[in-house]
Amino acid sequence: MIARIAYAFREMWASFRRNLTLTVAAILTSAIALLLVGTTFLIQRAFDNLLVQWRGDVEMIVFVRSDATPEQISLIDQTIKSAPTIIDAEKLQYLDKTQSYEEAKRIFVGDPVTLSLLTPDNIPSQFKVVPITQDPELVRSLSEQYRSLPGVQDVALAEDEFQVISTLSRFVRTVTLVMSLVLLVVAVGLIWNTIRTAMFARRREIEVMKLVGATNWFIRVPFMLEGLLHGLLGGIASCGGLWVLNSAWTNGVAGFKPGTGISSLVVPSSYLTGVMLIILAIGALVGAVGSAIAASRFLDV
Amino acid sequence: MIRLESVTKRYGTETVAVRDASFDIAKGDFVFLVGPSGSGKSTLLRLINRQEQPERGDVWVAGQNVNQMAESRVPYLRRNMGNVFQDYKLLPNKTVFENVAFALEVIGKPRHVINRQVPVVLELVGLAGKEDRLPEQLSGGEQQRVSIARAFVNRPLIMLADEPTGNLDPATGEGIMALLEEINRTGTTVVMATHDHRVVNAMRKRVIQLDRGVIVRDQERGVYE
Repeated sequence: MIARIAYAFREMWASFRRNLTLTVAAILTSAIALLLVGTTFLIQRAFDNLLVQWRGDVEMIVFVRSDATPEQISLIDQTIKSAPTIIDAEKLQYLDKTQSYEEAKRIFVGDPVTLSLLTPDNIPSQFKVVPITQDPELVRSLSEQYRSLPGVQDVALAEDEFQVISTLSRFVRTVTLVMSLVLLVVAVGLIWNTIRTAMFARRREIEVMKLVGATNWFIRVPFMLEGLLHGLLGGIASCGGLWVLNSAWTNGVAGFKPGTGISSLVVPSSYLTGVMLIILAIGALVGAVGSAIAASRFLDV
Repeated sequence: MIRLESVTKRYGTETVAVRDASFDIAKGDFVFLVGPSGSGKSTLLRLINRQEQPERGDVWVAGQNVNQMAESRVPYLRRNMGNVFQDYKLLPNKTVFENVAFALEVIGKPRHVINRQVPVVLELVGLAGKEDRLPEQLSGGEQQRVSIARAFVNRPLIMLADEPTGNLDPATGEGIMALLEEINRTGTTVVMATHDHRVVNAMRKRVIQLDRGVIVRDQERGVYE
């Protein structure tokens, strides 16, 4: 058993070095493809920070002063619920100060100055309002009405705050996703071709192996390992690229004025680690799949 | 050991390589397949080691129906067969020792078995002391001996030889034939395709003669004619 494993790795390494040009091309392509996949994840997550408070069809947020009395809060609640044809009372959600503070931590993740000014005590609590009506003018007129209620600090409308960002985020996500998928297919093709070349170069050896009774798996495994290595190395390279990209972005965003929203567009490092692991897994998978297909198809060289 | 029952093999739709061939080869036999180029000798060998599948008929090897065997069993069938070719099929970047060891390595034999068996078989074929040569540093006859060592190192039941003396001068060919006869004496069944009159006439073994894919003669202790 050990002899077989040692054999497989030895053969993989020999073949890997023999075909350097093709190997480098395959690795680079998978690296770029995976970098795009990772970037898609990060962009997605960054925009999510910004959009977190508008999740779940929320169109309007009523911010309640931190010093509002329980009576005032209950009045606001009733007022909102009093328009059941316009507002979905079922989905109306109240975030108290603690919950609002948790949310703020995400929104202001790249803006520590603003965050440090907030405490669970002085933060406004909020009503998240999901309208039933499709008419934005109705929602807008309601917001004017709520603004005049006692205890209300401000009313924010999704239309004003995030429609542009949301559209932009969807567009960017689609573009990067499509590009990364296309590049992944190219990467599979290149790995496939590299393996095919490697097998062609060793067709005499493969012929002899088959004649003396080596099993197809025994012949295939080194080639599959080689493809796996291509994918993994591509994954490692793209992880490096992703880290550099994210650091540069985080530094750049830190220079923006607080409160512009741009400063929310950063990604926590734990999330980055997760994305890197996913990328390594995808890389290994792409390499193994590409080479497995090639190794099976060209076993009869 | 080897039995063919009404085997027909065609390449494409026109060319008939073997037509309705039947014969029975007992364990320990030494058989020549003779006939001009393209008469179907090589195809018969390729049917026996299942490099080819017949269109009709059955091929039996060591009690197993080779055509109905699952693809995954074929490697184990081949471990019972040694193959020798006119062009040796040695791996040019491996030494004599490595070429022979390769056959054991790829069927998963551990190192200590390889280190014990390879020198024994190299001694048998008369190549002791040349373990570290590369194939290009050997004569044709020596290269063929390496290929016979590789085919025999796993002690197969059957040895299939396709024109093993085809590239060699008569004296060297005689040496190779003596070696195959010695292997045959250990109980290994030898089937050899050839169109070398001298070899066949000198050995006086069983001769199966083919003409355009048809067996026209099957004779004990025959000559080439």
